Amino acid sequence: MGFGVSAIIELREVSKLYGFGDAMTLALDEVSLTIDQNEFVAVMGPSGSGKSTLMNVIGLLDRPTHGEFKFNGRSAARLGADQRAKIRRDTIGFIFQSYNLLPRLTVLENVALPLAYKGVPAGKRLAMASHMLERVGLQDREYFYPGQLSGGQVQCVAIARALVNDPKLIIADEPTGNLDSVASRLIMELLTEIHKTGNSILFVTHNPELTRYASRVVYMRDGAIMQDEATKFGEVAATALKQMYTIPERTVDDDLAGVSALMHAVPQKPAVRGATAAKSGKKAKRKPAKRKKSGAKK
Amino acid sequence: MIALPLSRGEVKMAIASVRSTKWRSLFTMLGVIIGVVSVVTVVSIGQGIKNQVGSQIGELSRDIITIRPGKLVNVSSDGSISSVNLLADAGNGGSLAAQDISTIADTKGVQTAVPLAITNGAVSVGSHATNSTPVLAATADLPTVLSQPLLGGNFFPADTTQQPYVAVLGSFAAKTLFHQSQPLGRTFQFMGRTFFVQGVFHQFDTNPLSLSTDFNNAVFIPYQTAQSLTNNNIRPYEVLVKPATSGQANAMVGSISTALAKAHQNQQQFTVLSQMQGLAVTNNILNLLTRMIAGIAAISLLVGGIGIMDVMLVSVTERMHEIGIRKALGATNHQILEQFMVEATVLSLTGGIIGIIVSFLVEYLLRVFTTLTPDITWQIMGLAVGVSLVVGILFGSIPALKAARKDPINALRNE
Repeated sequence: MGFGVSAIIELREVSKLYGFGDAMTLALDEVSLTIDQNEFVAVMGPSGSGKSTLMNVIGLLDRPTHGEFKFNGRSAARLGADQRAKIRRDTIGFIFQSYNLLPRLTVLENVALPLAYKGVPAGKRLAMASHMLERVGLQDREYFYPGQLSGGQVQCVAIARALVNDPKLIIADEPTGNLDSVASRLIMELLTEIHKTGNSILFVTHNPELTRYASRVVYMRDGAIMQDEATKFGEVAATALKQMYTIPERTVDDDLAGVSALMHAVPQKPAVRGATAAKSGKKAKRKPAKRKKSGAKK
Repeated sequence: MIALPLSRGEVKMAIASVRSTKWRSLFTMLGVIIGVVSVVTVVSIGQGIKNQVGSQIGELSRDIITIRPGKLVNVSSDGSISSVNLLADAGNGGSLAAQDISTIADTKGVQTAVPLAITNGAVSVGSHATNSTPVLAATADLPTVLSQPLLGGNFFPADTTQQPYVAVLGSFAAKTLFHQSQPLGRTFQFMGRTFFVQGVFHQFDTNPLSLSTDFNNAVFIPYQTAQSLTNNNIRPYEVLVKPATSGQANAMVGSISTALAKAHQNQQQFTVLSQMQGLAVTNNILNLLTRMIAGIAAISLLVGGIGIMDVMLVSVTERMHEIGIRKALGATNHQILEQFMVEATVLSLTGGIIGIIVSFLVEYLLRVFTTLTPDITWQIMGLAVGVSLVVGILFGSIPALKAARKDPINALRNE
C-alpha cells in the first residue's frame, strides 16, 4: 500500500487500447485515479469517453494495456483469472444498466448466486439473500422471476445481489440508465443508504442531477480524466450544473432527426419547422424524406 | 474432474436448464437413447439365446459325446476351450473310418457309439424329387443316444439284412415330403430303391446356432443299407457316444481322444466334445457375434455423444452473456466448467435411463411377437448407462472448457 491506508483503488497512468493497426482505439488514455475507502464517486462524460472501460478495469473484468493498477493494495497485473474471480466475488459488487439478472432463476436465487460461488450452503445462502431483499424492500417478491418485475424492482434485486457478499466496493455502470426519474431516485437513495454503512461506491451516470448523491465527481472525455471535483452531498456538482444548462440548446427535433449538424446547415430551417408543426406528427414521422423536399420547394 | 462436492443447487440448475429447452434436449438425448436401446437389445437377445441353448441342453441328456473329423476346437489341458476354429473341415483333418468307429465303440465306458453319415442323393416321393432333405445313415441306437422318443412307428433294428430299405423321418421331413405328420407305411425313392417309412421322430428341440445337422428335417436310413448302396464309400461326419454311466462325459472325452490318438500314431485329427463343451463352442460363437453387433450398435452411442457436444456448443454460444454475468459475480473458470459438465451429464444420463426404459419395452414386444426371449441383465444395463455417462462427460468437456475459458468482459458484452 503505497498511498494512504484507506485507498482501495490506485490507477497510475493506466491506458487501454482496443483493436490493431488502423482500427486501434484508445479507450483509456493514461488515467491516474485514487479512490479511498468510503468515497461516493460519480463518473460523468459523453458516450465513448471510456467510463465503462474504466469501470471494467477497476472491477477486474478487463486488464489495462499499460500502467499500474492496485486494487486494495494488490497489484492487479499479477492476479490470475481465478484470483480475479475471487476478488470480484468477495470485495466487489456490480450493478449494471441492463440489470444482468439470470432470467431462469428466481429473484431469491439470483441474489444468492454470488454466495453459491463462495461455497455457502444452500439453506444459509437463501436466508442471507432473503435478508438482503428485505433490505431493498422486495421481500414479498422472492419467488418472482426477473421478467415479472418492473425495471426499478429488478435494479433493486441487482443491488441486493451486489450487496449480498458485503463488498468493499460497489461499481454501478449507469444504474439508472433504463429507469424513470421516480425509480432512479429510489435506486440512488438506496445506494446512499448503503454508502452510509461504509462501502465505497463508484457509479457512472449521464444525468447531472444524480451528482447530488456523490461526494466526488470525475469527468471524462476521450479516455482521459478532464476534471475531478469534490461536491457537497445534496448539491449538483458545479461543472455538472453547467452541463445541465448547456444541454437543452439542442431541440427535440434535432434529437429525432439525429443529424442536427446537417439540419443546421440547411437554409430555411424555420420554414421546415413550421411545415412540420402544421402537419400531423404521424405523417411527418412516416415520411421524413418528403418533409425535406417540401421544405426545399417553399 | 469435479473437485467441489456437487451441491443440489447445481444439479437443480442444470436440470432446469435442460428442461427450459425441452425439445432440443429431447432430440439431443435421442442419439444416446437409440444407442443404449440398440446395444441393450442386441446383447439381451444374445443372452436370451444363450439361456435357451443352455436350458435345452440341460433338459436333454448332457451325456452325449460327439466325435468329428478335423480340429474344430483347441481344448486346453484343463478341458476348457481355448479357441474355436470355424474353418475346420473334414477335408484337411482326415475322416472317421470304420476302424475308428470300432475304436470308439471299444473304448472302456462307452455304452453305444452311433455313426452318422450323409448319403448324397435326391429323395423322390412319386414324381416329386427333392435335394433339400438330407439322408442320414445311422445305426439302431440313435434314439437311445439322443434320448429322443418316436412320435409313431419303430426305429429300425440293429440287424437290417432282412429288411434293408426302411427309413425313419424327422418331423419336418414327414410334413415336407408327405404332407402329413405320421406317414407310416408310405414309400419314397432313394438311389434307385424304394424305402418304406416305418417311424417318425418326435420333434427335436433345435438349438439356435447349433453345429449339428437339423434332425427334424432329415431322413434316417440304416447304416448297413447306406454302406451297401455306396459300396462302403460313406464316411461318418460324426459319431455320437453315450457313456455307460451318466455324469462321466467329460472323463470319457479324454479317454476317447487318447484311444483315437493311439490308433493314429498320436496325430490328433479329431474333435471330441461333450455336450457341455459343445455348448461352450456355441456360446463362444454367440459371444463373438453379439460383441460384433453390439460394437456396431455402440457407434450410435458415439453419434449420440457428438450430438450432445453439438448442442452444448450451441448452448455455450447462446449463453455467453449468462457466462459473463456469472463470471462478473465471481464464478471461477472451474465453477463454470463444472456447471456445463453437470448439464452434459444430466443430458446423457437422462438419455441413458430413457434408453433402458425403452429397451424393456422392446424386450417385451420381442417376447410377445417373436420366439426370442431377450434377457436384460444388470450388467448390460450398468454398462449402457455407464458408457452413456462417459460419452456425456467426454463430449461435454469440450464445450464446457470453451465456456470456462471465456474472458469475462467479452462474454458480458455478448448479448
